[in-house]
Amino acid sequence: MNKFLFSMILTELEDAVGIENCSTRAIDKLTHSVDYFWLSRLFVDRGEKMPEADFVVSPKDAKEVSKVLKIANYYKIPVTTWGGGGGTQGGAIPVCGGIVLDTKRMNQIFDVNTDSMYIECGAGSIYKHIENAANEKGYATMHYPSSLNCSTVGGFLAHRGIGVVSTKYGKIDDMVLQMEVVLPNGDIIETSPAPKHAAGPDLNQIFIGSEGTLGIITKAQMRIYNQPEERRFRGFLFQDMHNAFLAGKELLQKIKPSVMRLYDETETGSIIKKIVGVEKKGAFMNIAIEGIAEIVAIEEKILLETFAKYGAEDLGSEYGEKWWKEKITFFYPGHALDLPWMFGTMDSIAPFDKIEQIYWAMKNAVESNFPMARFIAHFSHWYEWGAMIYDRFIVEEPPQDPVEALRLHQQIWNCGVRAALENGGVVNDHHGVGIKLGRLMKEQYGPAMQVFEGLKKQLDPNNILNPFKLGL
Amino acid sequence: MHFTEKSRKTIDACRFCWMCRHICPIGNATGMERNTARARALGLSMVARGVEEIGASIANVYECALCGACTKECLTAWDPILFTTEAKLEAAMAGEMPEYIVSMIENIERTGNAYGKTELCTRLSESIASLPTDAETVLFLGKNAMYRTCRQACAAIELLKKAGVSFTVLTDEPSSGWDLFFLAGGAEETRQTMKACAASLNSFKTVVAYDPNDARMFRRQFKEWGIGLNAEVKTFTEFTAELIASGKLTPKKSASVFTFQDPASLARDLEETVPAREILNACGTTLEMLMNGRDTNLAGNLLMAEYMPEAMTKVAVRRWEEAQRIGASILVTANPDDYAALETVKPEGCRLISIEEAVLECL
Ligand SMILES: Cc1cc2nc3c(=O)[nH]c(=O)nc-3n(C[C@H](O)[C@H](O)[C@H](O)COP(=O)(O)OP(=O)(O)OC[C@H]3O[C@@H](n4cnc5c(N)ncnc54)[C@H](O)[C@@H]3O)c2cc1C
Ligand code: SF4
Ligand code: SF4
Repeated sequence: MNKFLFSMILTELEDAVGIENCSTRAIDKLTHSVDYFWLSRLFVDRGEKMPEADFVVSPKDAKEVSKVLKIANYYKIPVTTWGGGGGTQGGAIPVCGGIVLDTKRMNQIFDVNTDSMYIECGAGSIYKHIENAANEKGYATMHYPSSLNCSTVGGFLAHRGIGVVSTKYGKIDDMVLQMEVVLPNGDIIETSPAPKHAAGPDLNQIFIGSEGTLGIITKAQMRIYNQPEERRFRGFLFQDMHNAFLAGKELLQKIKPSVMRLYDETETGSIIKKIVGVEKKGAFMNIAIEGIAEIVAIEEKILLETFAKYGAEDLGSEYGEKWWKEKITFFYPGHALDLPWMFGTMDSIAPFDKIEQIYWAMKNAVESNFPMARFIAHFSHWYEWGAMIYDRFIVEEPPQDPVEALRLHQQIWNCGVRAALENGGVVNDHHGVGIKLGRLMKEQYGPAMQVFEGLKKQLDPNNILNPFKLGL
Repeated sequence: MHFTEKSRKTIDACRFCWMCRHICPIGNATGMERNTARARALGLSMVARGVEEIGASIANVYECALCGACTKECLTAWDPILFTTEAKLEAAMAGEMPEYIVSMIENIERTGNAYGKTELCTRLSESIASLPTDAETVLFLGKNAMYRTCRQACAAIELLKKAGVSFTVLTDEPSSGWDLFFLAGGAEETRQTMKACAASLNSFKTVVAYDPNDARMFRRQFKEWGIGLNAEVKTFTEFTAELIASGKLTPKKSASVFTFQDPASLARDLEETVPAREILNACGTTLEMLMNGRDTNLAGNLLMAEYMPEAMTKVAVRRWEEAQRIGASILVTANPDDYAALETVKPEGCRLISIEEAVLECL
């Protein structure tokens, strides 16, 4: 872009959001070029710069977002939305330059509504801050991902995020009542005033998971819940994963625990041993039940009876409690995967009749094609009909050259995700698609992809919103 | 850019997990991604790798209040103080210091304080003049209290007088080095200032540091830099709590409900959270904000308010919002930084007092 046109656009953006909220400073461009995507971190680790935006804007509300999008549409400049930058799929990286729209000034908490049990807030609110607001009134959001402290309401909605007590309280897409969204042409819309209705398809669910490609979420009403009177933990050890799945499935037909986590033998013998202290061999499973104390006591009885039927060794409450205390520690240095290793979380989800098959297929595919890679997994979010796999690969000595490393990284991902797809899984469970997995969306959806493409074409004919993400 | 090995390792220790994002008072108030610990680490790591010039990152280094909240939250042993002080010094040597910082340092050279003030307010001058000069205890007010919250400085003097403490305040009180340390990092001038300060305080048995930033310099930086300070250093809150415990001050318990704004340097660097609560519980009852004690959110920084006033106003507004959300009606501070910031944006119907004022009201 020539200097003259650049300056013209800059002044228009400054006019839209205020001079102090529109930046071309090197530090702002740099910090919005690296998210939690392993490849972006690798590039800077190797002293390479990632693609940067030309302008970084921080609008304060939907009206200012609308103005920015109108400018972008007129000049046909890409707009990439950035929440907390905690995404692992490169979704927030401005791969085509243009404008990065940071949502964090839209962080107002408008209402802690205890009559209808929701918080209305700006989509740029850090989830921990809305949890604090709920806690101050004696309630809780029950969305406890490991990134609670860093990611935003809009970011979680855009990637369909999930927290540790999801089995009882649901995924982020179950927790939203209404949203305000700015369409690519600048129109500001609201989704249905109630999330359950028969007034046509669910507008919420069109924008949830759309990763900033169809619209920018600017406000949301997120559910809050009573704090549980009691939360009890119970650790179990299974000698084989098959019985663990049968036990889990049967339990879910009877009661709904909040936490349900099954670790394969490798993870039990490594991270669970290290953080939680379980020394025995087998597959560790942690269950939490919570709510009104009397009901919790009954549910615990049902849990013990059900798991005993499948030969689970009852490890008591100590390990489970330790796990809860340390739940974020799993992501801290020394425990979490980090550079200089190459790693990736290939989470997938499927009904019970396919989930084990997917696990073995992914493990075999990754380990046999890439002998330098280790594969570990746990199953952390459960439904009455199935469960998700949180499986990870680790390469301890990736190539030094960033492009070589990128090539190997992509090959492993293709291999693992294709194994999941071939066996009835999906591209991703809760980290989203971003630029990392876009190409695989078509492989999962086939002709169904035209529904997303049609929406994109109609809503964003100039393709300004987050190009090359989500396979769109 | 020549970071020490330790600094370089600290910068690279940041693994971009953002576990500390929610707690950064500046980032929370401005909503700017650059105002996070990891952004600073990323910027400086690119400088350390020779990809960026220090000039691209230095202004952002000055946007960190060194409040230590991220240090507390982070398990990487991340300590922004270590490399920000090095980065500031390097920027000075490379002639890349922001102009507003240069002019504050020039003020210090010229007037002894970063604000360029040459006169104390009359009340404080008179108050100091009324004290004996030969006491064993010295109340060290600090530049912020002397030039920015003079009413509270007077209240502190009055309180110690009421307790019958034999003390003095130096008419030519030197700087502890806090302002230079904050502005220029580990420069030789900072060391010289600290040395001169130690020399003038060493004739006393006890130093009562009114401003926790000065107490932090005396107790931590002086030690780390091998500058001998023989006098015993007490924080003002610690000293006041002892006066109450020993019966030298006898406040009457009132119906007031106080909410204490823990100063970041007091609660985190000096790990002191109890004495202030003992004091306030002797005068009334206390109601805690969600982020209190070692989790406190900083409400102000007088030096930063000089060069980024709008952002610092937002920081204070946010803290008031937090206080109001729990229904606090009287917010009590124990440092000039927080008091001055909160005072400028005090919401209607709320009360702000310093801890010495709270005690004086109950005597
Ligand atoms: C240490 C760590 C642990 C993690 N643990 C979990 C976990 O337990 N569970 C989990 O689900 N995830 C986890 N994640 C991943 C991450 O927190 C989620 O992917 C989250 O959804 C990203 O939100 P963000 O605000 O950081 O979004 P960003 O990374 O900024 O953006 C993600 C995507 O959403 C889009 N977007 C952001 N805001 C909006 C908006 N307002 N409107 C439209 N589009 C928008 C962006 O364009 C981008 O495509 C973890 C991440 C980290 C760093
Ligand atoms: S400073 Fe620590 S907690 Fe913050 S992002 Fe870096 S590693 Fe994470
Ligand atoms: S020291 Fe305080 S102001 Fe600086 S980055 Fe850490 S939390 Fe933010």
